[in-house]
Amino acid sequence: MANEQKDGSPEVKKRKLSSGPLSKGDKWFFRATAVSANFAFVLVALIVVFLFANAWPTLSSQGFSFFTGSNWNPDAKHPVMQLGPMLWGSLLIGFTGVLLATPMAISAAYLIVYLLPKPAAKVATTVIDLLAALPSVVIGLWGIAVFTPVAVNWARISNQLLGWIPIFHVKDPNAAFTDSPFIAGWIVAVMIVPIITSVTREIFSQMDDGLINGALALGGSRFSVFRRVIMPTSSSGIIGGILLGLGRALGETVAILYVLQLSFKINFFSLLESRGGAVASWILARFGEASNSEFHGLMAAGLVIFLVTLAVNMLASFVVNRAQPWRKN
Amino acid sequence: MSNLASRQPWALSSNTFKLQLALVSTIPSIIGVLFVILGNLDFSIGLVGVFLPIQVLTVAAFGWRKARRRGLSDALLIFFTIFFSTLVLVLLLSVLGSVIFEGFKAMSPHFLYENNRYVGTTTSLEYGGVGHAILGTLLIVLLTTVAAVPLGIAMAVYLTQSQSKMRGVVRTVTQSLAGLPSVVAGLFVLAIMQFTHIERSGFTGALALFPLMLPTVARVAEESLRLVPPDLRMAALALGAPNYKAFFQVVLPAAKSGIITALLLGLARVVGETAPLILTINMNNTTNLNPFNGPIASLPTYVYSFLGSNYSSSQQRAWGAALVLLIVVGILFGSARLLSRKKSLKTKPAKKAKK
Repeated sequence: MANEQKDGSPEVKKRKLSSGPLSKGDKWFFRATAVSANFAFVLVALIVVFLFANAWPTLSSQGFSFFTGSNWNPDAKHPVMQLGPMLWGSLLIGFTGVLLATPMAISAAYLIVYLLPKPAAKVATTVIDLLAALPSVVIGLWGIAVFTPVAVNWARISNQLLGWIPIFHVKDPNAAFTDSPFIAGWIVAVMIVPIITSVTREIFSQMDDGLINGALALGGSRFSVFRRVIMPTSSSGIIGGILLGLGRALGETVAILYVLQLSFKINFFSLLESRGGAVASWILARFGEASNSEFHGLMAAGLVIFLVTLAVNMLASFVVNRAQPWRKN
Repeated sequence: MSNLASRQPWALSSNTFKLQLALVSTIPSIIGVLFVILGNLDFSIGLVGVFLPIQVLTVAAFGWRKARRRGLSDALLIFFTIFFSTLVLVLLLSVLGSVIFEGFKAMSPHFLYENNRYVGTTTSLEYGGVGHAILGTLLIVLLTTVAAVPLGIAMAVYLTQSQSKMRGVVRTVTQSLAGLPSVVAGLFVLAIMQFTHIERSGFTGALALFPLMLPTVARVAEESLRLVPPDLRMAALALGAPNYKAFFQVVLPAAKSGIITALLLGLARVVGETAPLILTINMNNTTNLNPFNGPIASLPTYVYSFLGSNYSSSQQRAWGAALVLLIVVGILFGSARLLSRKKSLKTKPAKKAKK
């Protein structure tokens, strides 16, 4: 079935003529692979259907305020479940993480591709990939035990020096600076640096050599080549990598649960306040003691975070695929 | 691939230049360290307030002396590249170092094979261990692998060997599935369990890991299949082999190490997943070798549950289990690396020797 949809290239046509008696096994072979490939769609559809079926009671009773309101009281007579602060908190942490991770990732990719000698570059690539393989529970453990004291120190200093900027402002003068979106953003940044780096590194390494040589021959310096040649040609791919990282950051669960105080008092921009939100972590935090009505609310939250990350990731892989034409065979 | 330095042979020539470079790269950090130690300055303030400005100034001056504005911007570019990359390295080493350092305190032979039958939150570390959690993780992940690897390879075959026009869409969907939040995978299986009334067991945990493993296997397998020269397959087809024989007898053997890499990376992806398991299995303190019935332990949930309590022996247990988890991931990741390196060295001589 699949091998009949041909795009008129001559060799393929020839094979079709001569492979008549052999085609039965082939038919089943391609049918089997096509079925398994379409399983990707089935899986997405199943996830949406099952989550939606369980989320519907909450979505229908809460209406649109499920996304905008900020009140979570599932066990009242008329249960109120509104996810606003958690949704906003996820976005805030995601963007903080991306802002912190992007310079590190681009630097690491530039270092690996253009500065290090080949053996060292290989080692550095392995090191970055290893960072991607670290389980999030391990990073969460490190985040709460090792990184939080350091980050609290950074937060205190930046609050003292830059407290007049709204982002670094804290209402309580004796604030503890722990469990803040700032720390969660750093933790997320540690997790998405390797994602952005590997996409950026691949795009840098596939860069047309002639373009760079030409720029150098015309008198370009290292910086001007970076600024005027490398960045413009690879920017769309880098944006794809950043979107991939954002998708990962929005769905991060366990590590954020350790380092963030989840609160339904919405925190708009005060990164250093000890309260914030994250949808995925909220699901895990509430799940153990959820009543039946709250169960549906958490399913609805799961559906929301799934659809958001799916949209972000689809956009990301679309952008990345377009920026990496050598990957299309 | 392209090293800019090698295209500017005049750039790194004289000894004076090398001496200046060494001075520029050491003096600011020495000043910074002196300030921190002698001035009793906080390390972070010393780094950002003393070291960074001095380093930027010296680097800028050095570049300016060499080639005016062009030198200045080049020097700053290199400096910030190295600075941010070092930051990444420091973060990674900090994670690895703290887990290894703290984990070793809990480590002992019996910690690796005993289970936690009579262990509470305050029991000292002389008793109990992660043996049951290691076995549980192995069982759950094995179940996931049995389902996800064949399916992932079949998807990769579809993406590389067929001519279908749907490939682009399938690839995009698969890639976006790779970013599926792990908690959603858990909720999904939970919804299925509500619907079918399956009890919580190791099997439901494996089911929750499945959508997380599948895209990783498919992606890595696709890349390894693409590395097989198309001539091999074309030659097989030209000799009259049907497509499935060409795949199983020619393409698959040639991509063997890549396929195993896909398996290992897929394992490394799911072996540390916590949230789906918390949602779909009941934790267990004793060994349970039947993944289809009853509560079962796993390494990530072990870390999670012991980190929840504030007693120091529990925290130690969490660190110890995290170290075991890290070692498992390291072994999987390291062997995947070794395999993919061997492949590039071995293929050509091996083929010649055979024929």
